[in-house]
Parts: sequence; structure tokens; C-alpha cells
Amino acid sequence: MKRSLLLFTMITLAFLLLLGCSSNEDDSNNESSDGGSEEQIEISFSWWGDTGRHEKYNEIIDLFEEAHPTIKVDRQFGGWGDYWDRLTTQVSGGNAPDVVSMHQFYVSDYARRGALHVLNDKVESGELDLSDYPEAALDSGKVGDDIVMVAKGITMPGFVYNTAVFDELGVDYPQSDWTWDDFVDKAYEIKEAIGEDGWAIEDGSGGQLQPLFRYFARQHGQDLFTEEGKLGFEEQVLTDWWTMWDQMRQDGVIPDAATSNEYDGLPLEANMFATKKVALLGLPANQMYLYEEQMAEGEINIVRDPHIDGGPNGEYIEGAYLSITEASPHKEAAAEFIEFFVSNEEAVKIFKTEQGPPAGTEASNTVIEELTPPEKRAVEYIQTTVDLSEPAPYAPEGVNELETLFSDNAEAIAFGQKSVEQAVADFMNEAKSILGE
Amino acid sequence: MGKFKLFWKNNGIGYLFLTPWLIGILTLTAIPMGASLYFSFTSYDMFNAPTWVGLDNYLSLFSDAKWLQSVKVTLIYVLLGVPFQLAFALFIAVILNKGIGGLRVYRAVYYVPSLFGGSVAIAILWRQIFGGNGLVNNILGKFGFEGINWISTPDTALYTLIILMIWQFGASMVIFLAGLKQVPVELYESAKIDGAGSLKQFFQITLPLITPVVFFNLVMGIIGAFQAFTPAYIVSGGTGGPLNSTLFYTLYLYQKGFTQFAMGYASAMAWILLIVIAFATAIVFATSKKWVYYQG
Repeated sequence: MKRSLLLFTMITLAFLLLLGCSSNEDDSNNESSDGGSEEQIEISFSWWGDTGRHEKYNEIIDLFEEAHPTIKVDRQFGGWGDYWDRLTTQVSGGNAPDVVSMHQFYVSDYARRGALHVLNDKVESGELDLSDYPEAALDSGKVGDDIVMVAKGITMPGFVYNTAVFDELGVDYPQSDWTWDDFVDKAYEIKEAIGEDGWAIEDGSGGQLQPLFRYFARQHGQDLFTEEGKLGFEEQVLTDWWTMWDQMRQDGVIPDAATSNEYDGLPLEANMFATKKVALLGLPANQMYLYEEQMAEGEINIVRDPHIDGGPNGEYIEGAYLSITEASPHKEAAAEFIEFFVSNEEAVKIFKTEQGPPAGTEASNTVIEELTPPEKRAVEYIQTTVDLSEPAPYAPEGVNELETLFSDNAEAIAFGQKSVEQAVADFMNEAKSILGE
Repeated sequence: MGKFKLFWKNNGIGYLFLTPWLIGILTLTAIPMGASLYFSFTSYDMFNAPTWVGLDNYLSLFSDAKWLQSVKVTLIYVLLGVPFQLAFALFIAVILNKGIGGLRVYRAVYYVPSLFGGSVAIAILWRQIFGGNGLVNNILGKFGFEGINWISTPDTALYTLIILMIWQFGASMVIFLAGLKQVPVELYESAKIDGAGSLKQFFQITLPLITPVVFFNLVMGIIGAFQAFTPAYIVSGGTGGPLNSTLFYTLYLYQKGFTQFAMGYASAMAWILLIVIAFATAIVFATSKKWVYYQG
């Protein structure tokens, strides 16, 4: 008797559980029939970042919810790597957040597949007021003629160094206007000074296609891609690139392949630069202050990525963006949220230069007064280099596959499995077939 | 009474009780499987409607060097990992079965790694242990050997994952222990009287009598190993590196589907995996008549 009672209870519970699940679904269905502004609605917002950023964004969202009592914001956040995997899954599953953080490199994969809401109407009507955005900042959120994302912050990459580390090594600081030859010379100089304890710089041959290799291609008057979404650079550029790094690797100026692999993806406080295993680091300027906080002594300064003597600039505008997904049932509320995020005075003061200084002129002016010295240095650097930047074509569909192909082949050289010539040939062939050439 | 009524009277309650499970298997297993079978014949980027491409996905697999690499990695993992794990689990189970003191404690301790299973924490721990400055190299250093970055070297990375799998022998060990308890003590006693040593006892009595348990563990082990994902994903940061040396089949499938938007291709991979697992299991079942001994 007891036994059957137990069984009965369990089955009842199981049924209740099922009912519970289905009634949840009902709730969300109700929500999607939005409309009445009095009604309580919920939008979701996702971003990538570290703990510090999560705290800031949560604060901004709290402010927004206070100002808009009828809108609740569901928060989804995590690290950069997982972010993109999760977003793909969510978009394909039809449950993507209403507002998503976007990035130039990935935006076309989503925009060209119709997953992002085109904001032109909302911007023209002033529903999403971006009137004080500089033309270039607004344009950087376009794919073709469509505005598909709004800049949270604009940033520029460069090489950072810690003055204390350089002083200790007795090496002169790098000059902002340096060429790749200067760069290589400096790397050998650092290695000489640092001895067995470290290297000049992390292996920059592979990893992501941009910014470093992209700058290199642009400085040759080419680019990663053409406007038509084909491969935009010649074999020689890639050969030069990998040869330069391979030589430094063989001379022990940069770490060997296994060491690089071991440090791959470690958090900031454990990476090669923070632990002084390397003296130079390629970094988006907005993150400079994090290293200054972490490393305690010395100033973190930044110089431009090296260039080619007499060649064109590599710079193009980079940043972090907000988009509204096409499937979102709450596009109005989502637009309100984005506008609040990028222009509300209190929100902007919390954001400061978290992902680069705000793109809007007024917001950017508000922020400047609130900055710590390393943040100020970053903003000055960004403002100077943005002026040097030229537009860049968007990545075509399949860019994810290209990135993997690029890092696979760079790694094969590093581990001595392929010669530079072989890796270049393999990359060019497969890249062309991925891009349908 | 009509046939249906009779059927209902006899089985109705049973099906009623099964309902939650039936709903589960339909919505969570059967329908998704059907969808994936369909997608495997299409080009599908998960945003736009799938377009029919027939067998293209299946055919292009065989000219995909990375796919072949993932097959190789997974086969090595299964063929080395499963037998070693079983042998190790059996070895420990036999020792524990000797009735040593504190059996319960040992049983729990050895089982713990399996509880953590494919967990993220363990994989991260593994990265530390086999890293350049990790535990393994520290111990080697004490004996005057110079270690390498085990996890970051293409030649050794996969083997550290196989060791990780062997280390998680607890689940099969507990099942072995249960099996060992079923072997009648009288058999050992009479063997002893006949002068059989412990090795002989093991191979003549223990092993034959627990072959059903070996069989069960083998089948479960093979199925599990083919589907391994988490360790490689975490240890290599999702890349299957260094140099694709830990590119497990499921990891490559995941990359194709969720980072390269090639869900049709990934679905085709999934179905090939299903067929291979079914085939491997069938082989074990087919040969089992020859080596599995059921008492009575």
C-alpha cells in the first residue's frame, strides 16, 4: 500500500512538473502579444565581458528599469568565446535576446542571414535618437545601406607596454610611429634584455584574422576581403606575414608553439603580459586601464600598430555595438533600451570607456570629465587614431570558417608541421573555395 | 470484449504511467532526430529555410581532411581508452573485493572522479595537472626529468585525455564490484583445495563468471567514448588543438554546426556517428555469444 502511494505521488509530481513547464510557455506567449504600454513587458539583453563589465552593465540596466517601470530586462552574459556560440544557437532556436551585443567581424554573418532588425526607420523617425553620432560612427554600424547596429563604444587597437617593465629591462619605449622593421628590431632588443625569463611579445602570426593581420594587408593597399566578399589580399602578403613571425619564433624572440598554446585563452591576470613573460601586447585601447589596475607599478602606454614605410594606414573604426534581433517581439522597448544605454547621462557615466568611449558626441564629452589617467590616455589614443582610419569592407559569410583556417595554418607552421609556403598555398586554396571563388 | 478494450484493460494503466516518458521521447528525441535526418540532406544555416542537396553532405565528408582527422582522433580515443579503462576498473574492483578494511571509503573515493564525469571543473583541473608548470612535470622534475607541456604538444595532448578517461573508471568499477560479489565463494574454495593460485583463480573463475558485466561495461564504454565532448572542448578551449590533435568527432560536429553555421553538414556527421556506434555495438553483441558466459 505504502509503495503504491509513493508511486502515485511521484506520478502526480511528474504531471505537475509537465503542467508547470507548459504554463510557463503560455506566459511567454502572452508577453509576445505586446502593445499596451501599461502592460509589464520583459526584454532580454546579452553581452560578453568579464566580471567588472558585468557589474557595470547590471548597474546601467538597474537604472533603466527604474526609469522604465513597465520594462524588465532579462540579463544574459558570459565570456567572449562562449558568447558567439550561444548567440548562434539562440538565433537559430528562435529565442535570441531582443537586444544583443554585436561586433563588426560577426555582424554580416547575422545581418546577411536576416537575423538583425534594420534600424533605418527608427533612426530617421527619431525613435532611436542618434542625431549627435558622428557620420563615421553611424556608418560603422551599417551593412550596405542598412543600419543594423549602434555603437556602444568606439575603440582602436595598438601595442601596449608597461613603463616599469621597460625601465627595468633598460629598453627604450617604442615610438608611436613605428614600422614593422622597427617592431622586429625592438622585439630582438627586448628578448636580448629579458633573457631566459620571457619573450618580447606573444606569437601574433595566427589567432584571429584581425586586427593585426588585417592592418598588415591594408598597409599593402589590400584588405582581408573585397566589397564583393571575396578574398582581398595576395599570396605574397600572407607569405611575408608568416615569414616574419616564423623567423622570430625560430630565434626565440616569441614563444614556441607549445608555450603559446598553453597560454591561449587564459584570463587577464594570468596571461603573458600581466605576468611579465612578454613586454609588448596587442590590445584594444579601452582595455588598457585593466592592466594598469592589475600590474600595480608603471604606466600602461599604447602605440599604434606598426606600419609600412610609405604605405597606406591600416586603421579602420572598431567598436562594440548593440543590435535588435529581427525575431524580437518588443522592438520599441528594445530601441528605448539602446538609446538609454548610449545616451542617458547616468548610464554613460557608469559605462565610461568600458568598450571604448561612447560614440555619441555629448555622451563622449560627459565621460571625458570622469576618467582616470589610463582611461584618459586610451581616449586620447582612440581619438587620434580614429582620424587616421579608413572604411573597411564587412566580413563575408563564412568568416568563421576562414578564421579557423587561418589559425590552423599558422599553428601548423608554429609546430613545424608545414613550411610557410605550404601553409600559404593551403590557406589561399581553401579560403577561395569557402568564399566560392 | 473487443480487442481494443481487452488491450486497454490489460495495458492501459501501464501506458498511462508511461505517458510522461512517452511525451519526453517524442518531443525531445524522436522529433529532433527526424528533423536532423532531414537536415542532413539539406544545406541549412539555421537562419534561412533549408535547401535540399541530397547526399552532398555525406559525400563531401570524405574529402574533408579535418573530418578524417576527427575520425582518427576519436578512434584512437575509443580503442585505447575503453580497454584500458575497463582493465583498470576491474583491477581496482578485484583489489577492493578482497575485503580490505575501509572498503566503503575506497569505493566512494574511487567513484568520485566518475561523479564529476565530463565536468568542466575536472577538465580545467586536468589542464593544470598536465600544464608546463603542472603537477606531472613537478613530479618528473623531482626525478630529474624535464617535462613538456603535455596538453599543448600535439603528440601528447590526446593521450592526456585518454588518461583522464581512464582515471574516471569509478562507474564501471562499482558495477564490476557488484558482479564480483555474485561469484559463488564455494568455487574459490574448491579451487584452492585443488591448488589453484590466485592468478589461475582469476582467469579460470572470476573472469568467466563476470563476462556479462564486462560485456555491459564494454558496450556502455564504447557508446560513451564515441560521444566524448567536454574534456576536449575545455582542455583545448573549443578548438580541438593543438594542431587538431584533440579534435574529437563531436567537437568538430559542434564547430561545424554552431560556429560555422553548417547545420546540414553537422547533421550528416551526427548520423554517420550514430551508424558507427550502432555498428560497433552490433559487433560486440555478435561476438558476445562466443565469450559471454551466463550462469545457469
